[in-house]
Amino acid sequence: MRVIPYVLISFLFLVFLGCRKQYEAPVPYEFANAPGAGRFTAPVRQSIEGVYGVTDGAAQFGEQVALKWSYVLDGADTTHFLSIFTGVDVCFFNLEVEPQADILALTGYWRKLVNTETGRTRLAVRVKRNGQLQRYSGGLTAGDTLVLDGVYGNRTAEPTQKLTFTYRRPLNQKPFSILAHRSGGRTSDLLSVSENSIEIIRLASRLGATGIEIDVRYTKDGVPILYHDNSLNLRLIQKNGLDGAIEKYTYQQLQTFVRLINGERIPTLEEALETILTNTTLNFVWLDTKYIGPMDKVQALQQKFRQRAILARRDLRIVIGLPTQGAVDAYNALPDKENTPILCELDTAITRSLNARIWAPRWTLGPQTEEVLAMKSENRTVFVWTLDEPKFIEQFITEGRFDGILSNYSPVVAYYHYIGQ
Amino acid sequence: MKNLFIVVLTVLLAGLSETAGAQSDSSETKRGPYTLVVSVGGGLSYYSTRLGVPSSLEQPTVSRFGIPATLRVMWHPDHRLRLGLETGLVPMYSYQGNAPASRARVRVSAIPILLVFSMPLAWLSGTERSLARRLAVSGGTGAYLIRSHLEYAGVVNSSRPSVGWMLGGSYTQPIGRKFRVATELKWFNASATEDAAFVLQLQLVWRAFSW
Repeated sequence: MRVIPYVLISFLFLVFLGCRKQYEAPVPYEFANAPGAGRFTAPVRQSIEGVYGVTDGAAQFGEQVALKWSYVLDGADTTHFLSIFTGVDVCFFNLEVEPQADILALTGYWRKLVNTETGRTRLAVRVKRNGQLQRYSGGLTAGDTLVLDGVYGNRTAEPTQKLTFTYRRPLNQKPFSILAHRSGGRTSDLLSVSENSIEIIRLASRLGATGIEIDVRYTKDGVPILYHDNSLNLRLIQKNGLDGAIEKYTYQQLQTFVRLINGERIPTLEEALETILTNTTLNFVWLDTKYIGPMDKVQALQQKFRQRAILARRDLRIVIGLPTQGAVDAYNALPDKENTPILCELDTAITRSLNARIWAPRWTLGPQTEEVLAMKSENRTVFVWTLDEPKFIEQFITEGRFDGILSNYSPVVAYYHYIGQ
Repeated sequence: MKNLFIVVLTVLLAGLSETAGAQSDSSETKRGPYTLVVSVGGGLSYYSTRLGVPSSLEQPTVSRFGIPATLRVMWHPDHRLRLGLETGLVPMYSYQGNAPASRARVRVSAIPILLVFSMPLAWLSGTERSLARRLAVSGGTGAYLIRSHLEYAGVVNSSRPSVGWMLGGSYTQPIGRKFRVATELKWFNASATEDAAFVLQLQLVWRAFSW
């Protein structure tokens, strides 16, 4: 028996089996999530936002970055986070203030969503005055330049590599919607929280989003919940033995048995809207219609939270997405369509026939310049979905025809929008 | 350990194939006999991979053992590589515990629908009564229909297909012209749902039809 070919075949088989790598990207920093801003007063925070050149660390994070504050609200408490968006490998930083430090100090982590690279980082805010780096406590004068300098590291290792950002210009202030898919991001991108969970809604702003798209389905007993896929599966939930369409299970059964990948419960639409209204500064919610059937319960929640947003003087639009003819039929079947904003993903003719104020074509249909301009001339808003390619995100933002982009990579959309001039 | 087992089986199957080819007589024009063989088996299964019990259940009890039943139909040609189909019902695991509203139970089982290749270890010795002629290795690929059954605040039965494979080794003892008994150790693996079970079976083998 000639042995060598069989040994080779076996070796290849072994290599094949051995290649099933488990990918993980745990957050290497534990946030204190302490409310308050410490020394980062409102004028200081405002002065820090901007586009910065990367002096040290450009090989890892690119030539320039955009710095933007975000907030999580909890009753009267506000927790402040600084996000840094880079143009490289869908990389972002999440930093929190160090209230105990006697300087303006920030600490947190960075992460690249196209791979599992992550690490801790610490930065201090200083001002360059007359060529000298000085302590900054607010109050910039002509000729001053803000500098954030510090260190970054890999994984949980103590940060040692130098990192310096130098202020260049303010952020692009042009109105633009940065819409995060699946309530903030995908589970498959190894975020610290699961897609379509309450936790990712609270995280969405820190990933650059100004609005979110959430996937709505019904349980067997008619409770609107957030879930993307049409079945329970190990991509989205922890192993529990249950399978099949989520619509076969009651809300009580799902609450008892099903946990999302990172351990969260499947939230109801009402819980999600409550979180958006009371805990975030998000200003747009796109309710994606994943269900087949009556739309009345979703409409009722939309109207309830729209009223609450008005009473709370919150700038918050909640719209029902119509991605299919079935969803259009469900919308048309509503007895009262007043005060029910919709977003149509179908063609311009259907959008006009429904008098939808928002048209959202898929990005793979191309720029559709004529159609986009025509819809905008009719005072309609035009979004494009679901665009994750940085090259096209940059192109679409530079061309400036769309009013917003729905993406799984909101940090990339934020980067290209904010660095715009 | 699992990888080593797979490598050894691959070497064996490849060697069998090579030897079978080397022993064929190209001047022989008459082929056969061909036999259709039906095997029915039952035994014990053990769920051998990680299972998930929700933390919301209090005092959970888990069972990894089950009683599987399988049916295999094989075509035994006049060479050593045999081909057939296998199906059946293989319990994977079950658990129960106290949930907020009542006692809860979950059962998971699989229906394999596999294309199976099998080969006796006959190249080691040529005689009909030798042990090697009665030992066989088998491997298969195809789909599993994973079924879940939930009893809690109602009953939900669900199923979904999963790609998967199996490996096995068997010993067959003749007990008559048409019948054999066999014992087989099998590994069933449903990849998409991450379910896997060892199965030890006693089988009745019926050489149903020859031509």
